[in-house]
Amino acid sequence: MRVTRSAAAAAAGTLIALTGTAACGLGGGGETSVADQRSLRIGVKQDQPGLGLRGPDGAYRGFDVDVATYVAGRLGVPPSRITFMTTPSSIREKALADGTVDMIFASYSITAKRKTQVTFGGPYYVPHQDTMVRAADASIGAVRDLKGKRICEVTGSNSWRRVIEERKVAAEPVRAETYGQCMDLLSAGRLDAVSTDDLILAGFATSATKIINAPFTDEKYGVGLRKNDLKGCEAVNRALTEMYQDGKARQLLAKWFGKSGLKLTTSVPQFEGCSYTPPAKAVHD
Amino acid sequence: MPAGTAVRHAAPSGRAPEAAPARPPDRRGPGLITFARGRWLRTIPGRIRAFVVVILIAIVALLAVLAAAIGNARDSVQTIGHDAGPQVVATGTLFSALSDMDAQVASVLLIGREHDLGIGHDGALGVYERRRSEAGAAAVQAAQLAGRDPHLRQRVQAVIDGLGRYERLVGEAMVLDRQSAHAAGEPPKQVVDTYRRATDLMRLELLPQAYNLTLDSGAAVRQTYETKRTAVLTGRAWVALTGVLVLLLLLAAQVYLARGFRRLVNPALALATVAALALVGAGFAELSAQAGHIKKAKMYGFDSVLALSRARAISNSAFADESRYLLDPGKADTYEQTYLDKSLAVIYPDLGDKPVNLESYYAGLEQQAGSYRPGKGDAPFLGFFGDEASTVRPGREADALGRTLQAYRAVQRNDQRIRQLAGSGDRTGAIKLRMDRDRTIRDFNAYDAALRSLTALHQGAFDSAIEAGDGGLRAWRVLPPAAALVIAALTVAGVRPRLAEFR
Repeated sequence: MRVTRSAAAAAAGTLIALTGTAACGLGGGGETSVADQRSLRIGVKQDQPGLGLRGPDGAYRGFDVDVATYVAGRLGVPPSRITFMTTPSSIREKALADGTVDMIFASYSITAKRKTQVTFGGPYYVPHQDTMVRAADASIGAVRDLKGKRICEVTGSNSWRRVIEERKVAAEPVRAETYGQCMDLLSAGRLDAVSTDDLILAGFATSATKIINAPFTDEKYGVGLRKNDLKGCEAVNRALTEMYQDGKARQLLAKWFGKSGLKLTTSVPQFEGCSYTPPAKAVHD
Repeated sequence: MPAGTAVRHAAPSGRAPEAAPARPPDRRGPGLITFARGRWLRTIPGRIRAFVVVILIAIVALLAVLAAAIGNARDSVQTIGHDAGPQVVATGTLFSALSDMDAQVASVLLIGREHDLGIGHDGALGVYERRRSEAGAAAVQAAQLAGRDPHLRQRVQAVIDGLGRYERLVGEAMVLDRQSAHAAGEPPKQVVDTYRRATDLMRLELLPQAYNLTLDSGAAVRQTYETKRTAVLTGRAWVALTGVLVLLLLLAAQVYLARGFRRLVNPALALATVAALALVGAGFAELSAQAGHIKKAKMYGFDSVLALSRARAISNSAFADESRYLLDPGKADTYEQTYLDKSLAVIYPDLGDKPVNLESYYAGLEQQAGSYRPGKGDAPFLGFFGDEASTVRPGREADALGRTLQAYRAVQRNDQRIRQLAGSGDRTGAIKLRMDRDRTIRDFNAYDAALRSLTALHQGAFDSAIEAGDGGLRAWRVLPPAAALVIAALTVAGVRPRLAEFR
């Protein structure tokens, strides 16, 4: 009977261990998500005044940067554990897919096409596309007047498509790497107009240029996340809801765009929703 | 040490009261020393008692594991079936009602003094009033469902407050509209300006808030499904494990008693074994069934109801953008772009290298939604209906999806015609077509009805899965403790006569 005795003792021990486990709750796990990370690498723009601009000290400043900092805070990541990185328009999808960055806050418009490659939290703001011309230019008053004019086509940006493809305005696209470059081309007379989001244009406004104030789209600035990070997407949306509820959004908008004369919306935008996207078919570029 | 304590405390209580005199009170001191040295295990009654205690602990463990797993199943059914599910319906109704209110206001202002155009001035006002009371009822229901969550209630309240402001602005626009008595499609600037304030409030504040509430319910369900359903399945494995342990211990007790006392079968212990087997088997089966109900409720019910509610909300607001496009030429480009954006959310055809604009959209939609046969293979398009196409089951669901797609194409064909007319300068023709009760309005209503009946099928699948889950769980409130009690009693009853032999 010695065998039985030791077996019984072992069984008793196991059972107590088992009961303990059961009491702790039978929880399930999940994949890694921005919602669970201790530190975050966040992609922003480095050359868009008001949104994301890298100063001589190497620090990034702007509305996107402040919103990113707020959201990261709500996800439990303090500013000391955030690493900001530059993600130009042309590499945003790739940077998320290969894990170079965890999140992107870089005037990143949610479009049906991009949604096949990226999961978007937010939008955190809905700007409108408008057009900037040289101050002396009176020939452009609306988007249709861009017919035959030279406009800026920034690699990876959607704005020129809104004019040429969606509105079918036969403007002539001139390539540039960044909106900063577009502005140089505009003042040098090698471009007639820069048409993009009013928040971007506001940051570049000088006395030599003017915004024609003829908005013709609703853009949706989304938080770019790794495809199908639904948990992260939901957490980001909760954070953004709080940002609008507690008045932080109003404060940040006033801080960065209060003097621009833009009409600012201070209520929470309609979110895109966090749904599973099947693997993209090769045909969507 | 905790193990020893547990055994020591459990031992007297696990024994039947009649067995107590086996250790008279005057021998208590030496008894404790014997206990501490473990000498009690060397006596046969001591071993039997220890065995019984171990079995009882195993039964308690089984009960705990079973209760935890059933509790997780109950949480899932509660969240998915009774909180989030109805909340999606309530907030979806709220969105549609709000969106349609604004669309009706646009119609009234477009019609102007030509009161008999389309559904007519009074007709549009009547629909507006009905939608207003629907929105009110849905908001009240959403607030009730928000229950104890103060943040959620606050957000529902914000929509209700905004609705009051919206109605004031609409009232103002209506008065200005009546005073100006303008021709159809030519509201004066002050009417358009007041309407802009109203519609901006609706489009930029109220509708987003209502839509985000729907999304929240979706998030709650996804989280519950991910964590709780996994927990139910893990719990099921634990039930099997502890169940097998209880059975082995009961069998071991049977063998021990049969050998030690030269008896064939201990009937009470045998009954306890059968009862334990039944409990474990039934528990395992019930947890499997619950996991199945939860999965069914989500995959074939909730996910589709959510996607289709969103599709309906987005379609409603796109349809309103179509009339805003005519009402407010100053913002026509924006309304055309938002219309395209919303249409792409509903169905995103594979446009290949073609530019993303309405022209490619109409063509892609005709070609791809036209050739697609629901329930037979993958859909060539994405968007809400693409999601629906990937989960739709052949039969009634596939047929209903087919009808919805067909109706959606009719809506888009009308839109194409309206924009052609407006683009060629025939605004009156465009407005007449937009207001046409026998074409544009009829087709949109047919699409809405098809979409609602498709949603109703999934709602039915959802309701029956939740009902099955509820029904199963009701019995499992009392069953596990009752069964555990019976098994424990039978075990004790089986051992007691053997212990009595040592008195």
